Amino acid sequence: MINSVRNTVLAIINKNNYGYISPSDFNLFAKQAQLDLFDEYFVQYNQQINEENSRVSGTGYADIKKGYEEVIDYFSNNEIILSKITDPVRNRFSLPADYYLINQISCLTGGQIQGEAEKVSSSKINLLNKSLLTSPSISYPAYTQSGNSITVYPNTFAGEKDVAATYIRYPLDPKWTFTTISNGSPIFDQSQSDYQDFELPLDDSNDLVAKILQYAGISIREADVFKFGQIEEQSQNQQQ
Amino acid sequence: MAYINQKKYYTNDGDNPTDSNWGSYQYVSLDDIVTNFLLMYDGNHSLVNNENRYKILFHAKRGIQELNYDAFKEIKSLELTVFDDLKFVLPSDYVNWVKLSLFKDGVVRDLTENIQVQSAVSYIQTASSTFDYEADGVTVKEEPSSIDTKRLDGSLQSIYLNDVVDENIDPNVNNYDSDINNSRIGARYGLNTETANINPTFTIDKKSGVINFDSTMANQSCILQYISDGMENGDDSLITLNKMFEEYIYAYISYAVLNSKFGVQEYIINRARKDKAALLRNAKIRLSNIHPSRLLMSMRGQNKWIK
Repeated sequence: MINSVRNTVLAIINKNNYGYISPSDFNLFAKQAQLDLFDEYFVQYNQQINEENSRVSGTGYADIKKGYEEVIDYFSNNEIILSKITDPVRNRFSLPADYYLINQISCLTGGQIQGEAEKVSSSKINLLNKSLLTSPSISYPAYTQSGNSITVYPNTFAGEKDVAATYIRYPLDPKWTFTTISNGSPIFDQSQSDYQDFELPLDDSNDLVAKILQYAGISIREADVFKFGQIEEQSQNQQQ
Repeated sequence: MAYINQKKYYTNDGDNPTDSNWGSYQYVSLDDIVTNFLLMYDGNHSLVNNENRYKILFHAKRGIQELNYDAFKEIKSLELTVFDDLKFVLPSDYVNWVKLSLFKDGVVRDLTENIQVQSAVSYIQTASSTFDYEADGVTVKEEPSSIDTKRLDGSLQSIYLNDVVDENIDPNVNNYDSDINNSRIGARYGLNTETANINPTFTIDKKSGVINFDSTMANQSCILQYISDGMENGDDSLITLNKMFEEYIYAYISYAVLNSKFGVQEYIINRARKDKAALLRNAKIRLSNIHPSRLLMSMRGQNKWIK
């Protein structure tokens, strides 16, 4: 998909000889555009839920939410064992570097899931620990987050393989790779080891083009290109 | 949690304790309650949403506690020997007592709660309002107090019949100072049924966590029937609920969450409240076990002559 997106972007930009986007610039814009659309999925998913609650959404082919869920679930990494941080407390674990949203933290003993840990704000955890009825237990553990690490309660979950995460990761950075330059133009080569296509579905290619055009328009200081991209994006959003 | 097969039910597959699954089918676990509630009653399209699990857990446990106090009729029994100190330490999961019995000579005898004071704290006094104090400012106690000493050595007088010693009674002399405790006087002119019990008496010192008996209970076997709150000493995996109350507990959690949430319409809260109340009524009727055969047994006494 990345090559067709790039070709479309270049075709639009070059139409009136506005300019040229180098592969490295394109890759930067592509990454940014993909992240923008990735973020929007969560906002749109929420809107769709609100529409369902307002009874203005259908089922079957009209079930838009299902489509959003499929896209988001594509980025789900399941039951990844978290690495333990020994300092300063024994029950602290580091989160994966590529996580976008934690879906579930599972606490295990001997490979068996004992309970799903619930996220609790740092301001509440002391109160929760003091509560007789709701203090974190093996069946109902809890965790707090600080930076890129979590602290799991009760602190009996302190083994190397005691905590696993199911999370939504960031999409991988797209990379349009090439081998040689003939007649001043790089030739697309997807066999390169660092090649990476967009991870969003094919029907997002129009949105990706529109987003990349906006970034490219700013880069080459062409307001027309930026506006075109903006209008395209608005029209796509209205259709959705 | 999957259903267990009959071999697992009867033998626990040989694991100790082998009887751990007996009767388990009557109950639903706390884990199931919380999981089912989160799956079925909580979510984007439900009345309850965006609630922390610990709140659901809290309300589930509170609901189970409330049911244990009256509706469940799950009465625990503990048999202990009362030694010379005349104390029965309350069980670790004790909430309230149902009945206390003396088990003697193969007969279970119900005990009466003594309405008189049987135990007290006493401070060492050198003069009126002059007490001795510890270094930390706490008043020095006299242990045991005079009333406790009397009770322990058996010389504490009581209005209960179990304290009566026949030879102390002079039928010809009405001694108001001492005969008040010899309740044969009452027996003669109209028995005071409240105190007319030959068995030992007790008082419960809730704060101290003990049941104090009179001296006639020394070295006797005592059975305490009591209710707990069902929290199983904090082990969540052991907390269960009778299946008759399963629907009620979901309604209770829904109501408790909605009632404490800002911005929920009053009619929704009222609906949840009515739901909860109706389900509790239904469950209580179901658990009351009103069988035609039992009614018949009671009805058979209707033609009995009252003499």
